[in-house]
Amino acid sequence: MRALFRKEKMWQRHKLKPRYDVVVIGAGVHGLSIAYYLAKNHEITNVAVLDKVYLGGGNSGRNTAIIRANYMTVEGVHFYSESLKLYEELSKELNFNLLFSQIGHLSLAHTDSAVNGLWRRAEVNKALGVNSRVIWPDEIKRMVPALDTSDRPRYPVKAALYHAPGGVIRHDAVVWGYARGVERHGGEVHPRTEVIAIDVKDHQVTGVRTDKGEVIRADCVVNATSGYCTTVSKMVGVDLPVVTHPLQACVTEPLKPFLDKVVVSANLHVYVYQTDRGELVMGSEIDPYSSYSQGSTLETLESIVAHALELFPGLRHVRVLRQWGGLCDMTPDYSPILGEVDGLKGFVLDVGWGTYGFKAGPVSGKRIAELIATKRTPDIIRPFRLSRFREDRLVSEKGAAAVSH
Amino acid sequence: MEGARPTNSEERDGRSKEPSPSELLDRSKMLNFEFNGRRMSAFEGDTVASALYASGVRIFSRSFKYHRPRGLLCVSGRCPNCLMSVDGVPNVKACTERVRAGMKVKSQNCWPSLEHDIFSVIDKIGRFLPVGFYYKTFINPPIEWSRVEWIIRRLTGLGDIEEEIASATGKGPKDGRSIISSSFEHLNLQADVAVIGGGPCGIFAALEAGNAGARVVLVDDQPALGGHLRYSGETLSIDVATGEGAYSGLKSSAVASTLEKAVRDRPNMTVLDNSTAFGIYESNLIGIVRGNSEIRLRAEQLVFATGAHEFPSVFQNNDLPEVFLGRGMQRLINLYGVIPGKRAVVVSNNDSGLGVARTLMDAGVKLEAYIDSRKAVGAPETLAEIEDAKVQTFLGWAVKEARGSKHVSSIVICEVDNEGELVHGTERVVSCDLVSLSTGFETEAWLLNQTGSRTIYDELLREFIPRELKPTVYVCGDLTGIHDLNIAIMQGKVAGLSAAANLPAMARSTELKVEYQRKSLETYSRLVSQYEGKYREGMKHTRGPEVLVVEYPGSDKMRKRFVCVCEDVVAKDISLATFEGFDDIETLKRYSTVTMGPCQGKMCSMPSLHLCSRVTGRSIAQTGRTVSRPPFVPVAMGALAGAELHPVKLTGIHYKHIELGARIMDMGEWKRPHVYTSVEEEYKAVRESVGVIDVSTLGRLDVKGRDAGKLLDFVYTHIFSTLKVGKSRYGVICDDAGIVLDDGTVTRLSETHYFITTTTGNVEFVEEWLVWWATALRLDAYITNVTAGLGAVNVAGPKARDLLRKLTTVDLSSGAFPYMNSAEGEVAGVPCILLRIGFVGETGWEIHFPAEFGEYFWDTLLEAGKEFGVKPFGVETQRVLRLEKKHVIVGQDTDALSNPFEADMAWTVKFEKEDFVGKAALVAAEKKEPERMLVGFVMKDSMVAHDGDQVFSQDGSRHIGFVTSSRFSPKVGRCVGMALVSPEYYKEGSLIRVKSDDALNGAEVTLAPFYDPEGKRLRA
Ligand SMILES: Cc1cc2nc3c(=O)[nH]c(=O)nc-3n(C[C@H](O)[C@H](O)[C@H](O)COP(=O)(O)OP(=O)(O)OC[C@H]3O[C@@H](n4cnc5c(N)ncnc54)[C@H](O)[C@@H]3O)c2cc1C
Repeated sequence: MRALFRKEKMWQRHKLKPRYDVVVIGAGVHGLSIAYYLAKNHEITNVAVLDKVYLGGGNSGRNTAIIRANYMTVEGVHFYSESLKLYEELSKELNFNLLFSQIGHLSLAHTDSAVNGLWRRAEVNKALGVNSRVIWPDEIKRMVPALDTSDRPRYPVKAALYHAPGGVIRHDAVVWGYARGVERHGGEVHPRTEVIAIDVKDHQVTGVRTDKGEVIRADCVVNATSGYCTTVSKMVGVDLPVVTHPLQACVTEPLKPFLDKVVVSANLHVYVYQTDRGELVMGSEIDPYSSYSQGSTLETLESIVAHALELFPGLRHVRVLRQWGGLCDMTPDYSPILGEVDGLKGFVLDVGWGTYGFKAGPVSGKRIAELIATKRTPDIIRPFRLSRFREDRLVSEKGAAAVSH
Repeated sequence: MEGARPTNSEERDGRSKEPSPSELLDRSKMLNFEFNGRRMSAFEGDTVASALYASGVRIFSRSFKYHRPRGLLCVSGRCPNCLMSVDGVPNVKACTERVRAGMKVKSQNCWPSLEHDIFSVIDKIGRFLPVGFYYKTFINPPIEWSRVEWIIRRLTGLGDIEEEIASATGKGPKDGRSIISSSFEHLNLQADVAVIGGGPCGIFAALEAGNAGARVVLVDDQPALGGHLRYSGETLSIDVATGEGAYSGLKSSAVASTLEKAVRDRPNMTVLDNSTAFGIYESNLIGIVRGNSEIRLRAEQLVFATGAHEFPSVFQNNDLPEVFLGRGMQRLINLYGVIPGKRAVVVSNNDSGLGVARTLMDAGVKLEAYIDSRKAVGAPETLAEIEDAKVQTFLGWAVKEARGSKHVSSIVICEVDNEGELVHGTERVVSCDLVSLSTGFETEAWLLNQTGSRTIYDELLREFIPRELKPTVYVCGDLTGIHDLNIAIMQGKVAGLSAAANLPAMARSTELKVEYQRKSLETYSRLVSQYEGKYREGMKHTRGPEVLVVEYPGSDKMRKRFVCVCEDVVAKDISLATFEGFDDIETLKRYSTVTMGPCQGKMCSMPSLHLCSRVTGRSIAQTGRTVSRPPFVPVAMGALAGAELHPVKLTGIHYKHIELGARIMDMGEWKRPHVYTSVEEEYKAVRESVGVIDVSTLGRLDVKGRDAGKLLDFVYTHIFSTLKVGKSRYGVICDDAGIVLDDGTVTRLSETHYFITTTTGNVEFVEEWLVWWATALRLDAYITNVTAGLGAVNVAGPKARDLLRKLTTVDLSSGAFPYMNSAEGEVAGVPCILLRIGFVGETGWEIHFPAEFGEYFWDTLLEAGKEFGVKPFGVETQRVLRLEKKHVIVGQDTDALSNPFEADMAWTVKFEKEDFVGKAALVAAEKKEPERMLVGFVMKDSMVAHDGDQVFSQDGSRHIGFVTSSRFSPKVGRCVGMALVSPEYYKEGSLIRVKSDDALNGAEVTLAPFYDPEGKRLRA
């Protein structure tokens, strides 16, 4: 209890140094976790994480923080389940309660083909040791009494994939916890510092320039941005197969608890869960057009809410308190792009996080840090290399990540 | 009584004796309602809050975290203090909810009652819950988060929706979903000019724009227009220069009524009262909520007349019941005839406090003291009146603390020094039962900001005022940070005139009027800047310390200085959070949760900003404000969703299927028969005699034009420009990456006319895709979606020909009408297109005909087939039949990565064509070893695998793929299926294992179809 009342600063405001070993662009969960594991696992501490807005002001502060490992492909399941395991220990490791609530995750199916898809996922998951199984309306009803499992809805619920270790986390806490971890290990976090150019000499990255005119030297620059990963990569002439789309979500007033599962319906393009504070969080799939606007639209709000009501008809009088949007960098196969770029030394990618990247913060931070420190690409992230698009070796997670995130 | 202050019975009738003219009540009509099980009465026009308050209720809610008693504060729907449950609907604002006879009102977040809430012990241990409490605790065993979370979950939240859920899911006292689903709806409106806010400046803006010929929609959230004129109770003094001098000397509420009538009488004006604009979206789309309806208003020009709201200053126990905001107090008195208390104090830092003092005195409440942190006021004549009434006035003083346990009983005031700090040792206690705060305005710029227009902090006015307005956006009134009726009227006129002037010429009025309007615009604009200048001069004279958050040595120990009443955030939380490093207003908000509660920051944004700026030493302007996101007020999900409308597509034969007792299933938006009798019976009919299936759900497209063949060559992987007239061919559509998107048949009806079928769910997509490419390639090809217009039936089986011969003269012999051919002709007198294709593997015709003949056609087929034992068959039987033939279903046997090679359909790809969608990717794909191949398999034992089961190597050690489809095959006598597996298993006779129900079951790969591999029966 004592520690509770000790006045302690989480981090400092620093002046930028002229040189770092590694500069990370983007202080979201990915950028921060890279810096954290660089320091903690590899003793590389002369690191600066730069962000053009406030700490966690990108998608890490806008996402709905669903954490799960029940992916579709073998590569995906391996990768995301390592992240989930890291998350399970992270509060202790950072000595900061990230409020990780493993309340369980349900993906509903309303059509026969969706049921098949779930079955396939359940079987892949089981085969790879991930706790996941298909359950039927009776059991669904017991788990989520508020859900309409009758045959009255236009698309009645037919089955669900139940993933017990899945859940939600307090996204801001993750950002703050990592940021404090970075600082405690000697790294630096610089909010409100935008990178406007990256210097390259002889196919080797040499540093970055900021909006305030600073020139910083570094032989390793990590692109850990999201929403803008293509524009940042363009600074060094690297084209990414990424299109940016808005993704929106909303939250209601707090209610007494009645729902303790994450409920996702890909058929109805909606997901719903209740936070510890009692609010309902609801979201959808990406907006159908590409855009850099973070503004929210009435149309998407209407559609999220209408679909949520199809699942939970008892919520009609519950009020929406806030809506917002973020920018998602969509790759063709709904998997990220991780690692180095052929022909350009010192430029590392941790991008393409689409709508699903928050849950991957710990694993990609840890593995990208390993790559930077050892100069070898860890096996677990090799399937996500940029060159897979040229080699036609995609890792398709669209079926498991379009709405589930 | 619950939540009530102990009073004798006479005082419970807390209304003025005489109804005042400004009242919204009809005192001749009494209504009864229930509050926590007790019968209460109200007048027609009362809100729940006014009726309860008049009956003596003082505690309206318990706070979120500490369960502190809370009473009315803003009385205008801007704060969270009166949230209650009404007829099972949680979190209703009692202060804006009109009483309806028989309504059931309940308090929330307290147990057992508002007056005695057990959880208020949390308040007593409040110092154990510093900001960020949860982040800093429950980290390590034994009290880890995973163990305590469920307890904490129980304790949070406000409103309870159990009743609603129970009734919606069919378990509650109400009957089914019908009761609550009905009334929500959406409405669409358009306007030349939308005016948001129906106070005096909004009304004048609307009138001027209307005069100029514009169609105007005026939106206001109150039941009656006029804004503060309705409740300020003042006698107006209006400058002739405004053009409205005639209203001078009249009572403000009377003027409000006159103005309201003026706008309502205008023909080109729509008044939306009781309507709250909750969001401004792209291209001037305004989301408005009015009761259970959502209105979408699209306007050319937007006038914001949204005013300003008050917020409480921060001192010890500032959240006690009976501490009101000044305007809230005025509303209660002047709109609802309530006498709020007996002995009041007014605490102020601006001139509106003087008006409140007057209102209280007029209502017969004894004013114990008038306290103002300024040394001089802007309306000395009113101050003099107050002093004349023997009220003690304290200029240069501020309140330090309110006292009382559940109700305020006194306040402690202190002198203020020049820095705005309280002077130690000057404390005085003033006893009272009512405190009114006029401690600051915040401009209601939330909606304005959503247009992308900015607001900046004005050091003199001490408010965020509009700057850099977007085109089509205008502002007026209190929103500009200036609180002066004369200026507001003229600003309103300028806004209305400017908005009209910027409309496209069509919407404007005659030349003559235009000239007149241009002149008035000039005049009023000039006057506004003159008057504004004077107003600002005046402000400089009265300006004194603002004292939003009282500070004095030791004040940081005072832990009940509430900044945010929604989330129970106190001043100390904010300063601690800022110290800890959350010194960016955006992170401060997220860490402390200030501004994130149900009032969305209306009560706390300014005080928290002041605190943050004080701790960091940055100015208010540098500290900035957080982004204002919609909605402006919480909006019911039902209103946003609107009426529930779910399209259902039925084929022209649907009701015949019902008559036949078919089990119906969903296929996308379509309803289809799953099975009629049993799969075995239906299967047998098709394989041994004849079966019929309704395939009207297939997508059908008609493609005509000189370049129709060229278009299809480009979009499909196969070649169709060389297809002979009268022939059909199977076709596959791929995307740029060579991934299979759809399949179907293409039939050439003439040189320039093709008839295409697509899969059931994909027709809209294929249509769009074809139109897109036809346009992109500038081809002479026209695509018409004829799906809804055509019915279709597949007649299949060895007796299919015999059946159809009875009904048509078309020569059906294999010589005249071979497999993959087509004909147009009459069947049963109905004009048809007949395609000889065989999805189920038997002799058969897919017959397309005008949908309106559906039932007749179906009945005729069944009748004619009786002698052959014809049976209708459903989707499930078709699935078995086609699986035996290894016919692929796109989306089931292919996924988001399958190209035609993997799907074992290499024969559909024609590289000799010049170019087509996906060619480059397919050329590359053909060259490399595929990652997976689609194979058939037969299970070794009686096990029936599921679609989606995983496939392993023979020894079970390697995961090699998954099952895409599998069914029991009557032909084979065991389960057969298809699976996507590693390419080394693409070999007749390979042994694999299918993991089903947690056992590894042996199976053998087959590459040929399981049924009639040579396709003899198809061609027979
Ligand atoms: C509404 C919504 C819901 C979502 N739900 C989920 C979910 O439930 N589960 C899940 O796993 N994922 C979810 N996501 C996705 C998830 O938010 C992201 O994938 C994840 O946060 C990415 O983290 P990041 O650190 O890469 O990006 P960010 O947090 O966006 O960090 C990148 C940072 O880079 C900064 N930056 C950009 N350009 C520059 C520059 N030139 N210089 C300096 N800094 C720059 C940005 O300001 C930003 O702060 C959701 C996303 C949204 C929008």
